[in-house]
Amino acid sequence: MMQLNAMAVLFKSLMGDVSGADVSKSFELMGKGMLGIFIVMVLIYGVIVMLNKSTGSKNTK
Amino acid sequence: MSEFSFLTNGVQFMAQNPKMLVMWGIGALLIWLAIGKDFEPALLLPMGFGAILVNLPLPGVVGDAGIVKWLFEKGIVASEAFPLLLFVGIGAMIDFGPLLSNPRMLLFGGAAQFGIFLTVVLAVLLGFPLKDAMAAGVIGAADGPTSILVSQVLHSNYIGAIAVAAYSYMALVPIIQPAAIRLVTTKHERMIHMPYNPKAVSKTTKILFPIIVTLIAGLVAPDSVALVGFLMFGNLIRESGKLEGLSQTAQGPLANLITIFLGITIAYQMRAEQFLTLGTLMIMALGLFAFVFDTIGGVVFAKILNLFLPKDKKINPMVGGAGISAFPMSARVIQKMALKEDNQNHLLMHAVGANVAGQVGSVVAGGIILNLARIWGMI
Repeated sequence: MMQLNAMAVLFKSLMGDVSGADVSKSFELMGKGMLGIFIVMVLIYGVIVMLNKSTGSKNTK
Repeated sequence: MSEFSFLTNGVQFMAQNPKMLVMWGIGALLIWLAIGKDFEPALLLPMGFGAILVNLPLPGVVGDAGIVKWLFEKGIVASEAFPLLLFVGIGAMIDFGPLLSNPRMLLFGGAAQFGIFLTVVLAVLLGFPLKDAMAAGVIGAADGPTSILVSQVLHSNYIGAIAVAAYSYMALVPIIQPAAIRLVTTKHERMIHMPYNPKAVSKTTKILFPIIVTLIAGLVAPDSVALVGFLMFGNLIRESGKLEGLSQTAQGPLANLITIFLGITIAYQMRAEQFLTLGTLMIMALGLFAFVFDTIGGVVFAKILNLFLPKDKKINPMVGGAGISAFPMSARVIQKMALKEDNQNHLLMHAVGANVAGQVGSVVAGGIILNLARIWGMI
């Protein structure tokens, strides 16, 4: 039943029908997308800090 | 005289297809923007000329054996080769040094992708299919090759409009960004000074960085690995210190060659019947929205960080706005804005750090969108 509701057309907009499924996926994309980017950025941040600490004193340019 | 009617067939064809004449006008406008206004001339000029070329009587360059059709099918559809090869050149142009010496700027490269996702929601609410909404959102990344690649992989119906929007708005960074930043900052915030004390970055770090980022992208967001990998490959050539000739070739002749053909190839999607739709206008508007909210996302994130930072460590929120991918224009705009508020406030190196982080952020955002599209069975 939940699935059927999500697939239903919510309303008609400028470019066509707006489906509940697409709206919920767009919000899911926003949440997962921003979280995913920050996870990748924090990982890279950590790597840079480690690289700077482990190589900084040996071979500075 | 009827024997010579073959000479007038083209004119008759155009008279029956007035939309093609409108596309000539759009092509001329793009050429004027490129030459007369210096708006991203390297891309807008080939696209403008291409818009005229593909709107001539058939078969021309878009028939079954047409050269532009062939370039599009081989260079974009079959392999996304053109945008990816361009990334090798871009990677060779970027010095990640300011980011490596001040890695917290990476956070702005993430935050300033917010507009992409907000635009997807708006586009869906406007009635666009999800795939087109996702492709439109990526315009906000201010990263032309990524926009083209994502829209192509998602089989969006608006590749031409997305490419035109992405490159047009990149050219308009000096106009769009100051307006967006002023909207969400006070004069006091824009005058915050940030001392620049760069840490020395070793050559080893500069060499390992592109390799490790490629590994992380490959493991966490596999669909971004082509984009990130080619960007970082170009950067590795640059930083290796052993391939100066290749580095110069990647930055110059390779990037120039691809740019020439990318613009004219993308014009394949600017055929009148495909381009002159309400959807194209909406995509252009959504692109502007994405661009503005990417900038605002970075600025607001900096303001939020400031709530937790001691008084002497505050970040000038304008630096957050440089977390988009338009490099180095965005960093220059921030520097100019800072000097306008206070002629002793030099933010350039901070902004450059955020700006190169935006390069990484935009390709990761594109990859994450493609990852989720694959999981949802859209590609």
